[in-house]
Amino acid sequence: MSGTDNEKAGIEAFVPSRRTVLVLGAAAASTVVTIRPALAQTAGSVLNCEIPVPGPHAAGSYIAQDGSTVAAMTPNAHPPMMRPLRGQEAKALLQGSVPPGVNPSSAQAYANYIRRLQSGMSGFTCYASLQMPR
Amino acid sequence: MTAAPRYIAEHRDRVRAVELDGLVVLFHETSGMTHIVAPPAPEILDALREGPADAATLLARLAARFAFEQKDGAEAVAARLAELEQAGLVRRT
Amino acid sequence: MRHQLALQIGPVAFRIGSAWPEPLAALARLYAAYPAPADDICDFTVRLEPEKPWRRWIRPSVAIQGDYVLPDAAPMALAHGLLAAEMGMNLQMALGQKRFLLLHASSVEKNGRALVMTGESGAGKSTLAALLGERGWRLMGDEFALLDLDSGNLWPFPRAISLKNGAIAVMEGEAPAERFGPLLEDTPKGAIRHLRPNEAAIVGMNQCARPALILFPRFGADCAARGVGQAEIFMRLTQSSTNYVALGGAGFDALTGLVRSCPAAAIDYPDTEGAIDLVEALWSEAA
Repeated sequence: MSGTDNEKAGIEAFVPSRRTVLVLGAAAASTVVTIRPALAQTAGSVLNCEIPVPGPHAAGSYIAQDGSTVAAMTPNAHPPMMRPLRGQEAKALLQGSVPPGVNPSSAQAYANYIRRLQSGMSGFTCYASLQMPR
Repeated sequence: MTAAPRYIAEHRDRVRAVELDGLVVLFHETSGMTHIVAPPAPEILDALREGPADAATLLARLAARFAFEQKDGAEAVAARLAELEQAGLVRRT
Repeated sequence: MRHQLALQIGPVAFRIGSAWPEPLAALARLYAAYPAPADDICDFTVRLEPEKPWRRWIRPSVAIQGDYVLPDAAPMALAHGLLAAEMGMNLQMALGQKRFLLLHASSVEKNGRALVMTGESGAGKSTLAALLGERGWRLMGDEFALLDLDSGNLWPFPRAISLKNGAIAVMEGEAPAERFGPLLEDTPKGAIRHLRPNEAAIVGMNQCARPALILFPRFGADCAARGVGQAEIFMRLTQSSTNYVALGGAGFDALTGLVRSCPAAAIDYPDTEGAIDLVEALWSEAA
């Protein structure tokens, strides 16, 4: 036995006797993080932004409870805001508080309107900059 | 019963890799996106470059190079592949 | 446009146009002794325009326009026109700069090496850089650090330092009155006063420096310093960059190059003097 063992030992001397341990981890673990563009965050901090509710594309429309825009005077819908929301105010609204000058019964509807903003709509870059993690 | 999905890795020429203390930062030229990946993701990508494979085959390839502490590596490898697929670094054949 | 001013700041030239003379007069005083761009060629244009035509005279309201705009920007009062011009220049850099990798960071230079400080607003990177600039360092910039994509060196970008709230009093004790702009109160960011960098910074505005130390300062706790893992540094720097993604592979190469060659530390500090001591100590270890 010793002859073949020595031979084996000779070959194995050129190869690490213990292989590196690779931890495969739990299935639920996350090992890939994708870098998200930070543009909105940094540019947004550079300028004070505002969100009109609703935007000019829907001027005069009322805001339904779920944030969608509906015809003026629709029952249970909320009137447009008299002035645009500043970035900080929009942030407060999204967190559940009511900034000064905002009708408390409409706050939820306005918050939902902001959440529904999409790229190209007035106020979207402001909204996006509020979302970026700091 | 559906066969386990087989994956191929994005070609080495289209992915720049830089190691930064234990983690690997990847720049994927096709998408222009940057990913930070932790072990065993870079090792899986490497093993996948030997040829298209499903999770079980990959596990066997990795076993030839590394020792594992855990028993059921297949589920973990499958989960890693799903993550890499979401990031666009691997795709199904 | 009615009124115009051209400014050369490090490697970047701006043309600022304005419907009103006052903001440009204040800007010209703030940037006295800065060179005009060679051959009058400018990289970016900023325009201060009335929000609506009649707002040029009635409750004057300044909208920031230029080569690059943010569509939802709130207009500003004419009294803050100087601030609008500065914000306009920031915006052009943030959205349009392609020659350099931009980091939202301050930088100062000593012996050809650069210290880079980055972090959230209010962490103190502007104030610390301003102070170091008066204590034997050359200020390279307080808002943006410019990383050369080929050489990995840092370019100066010595804009007027933007001091906010408490930092104003700190620097009023350090620099002569002539270098300060007007005190602007009730701006969206509180009280702001601009400070012109000193002569060394202006004269040296074309001298690059090799990055030698990156710091992440945080105000409010006892002095402490700890190392930061390279992957975390990389991640934090991408978050402080407005153009990392747009630059693609060149940005990736420049940033990984920086992270691999430059040590970094996170520092806590309770007051500016403590911070200066900590910075000097870490610098002598690193550079």
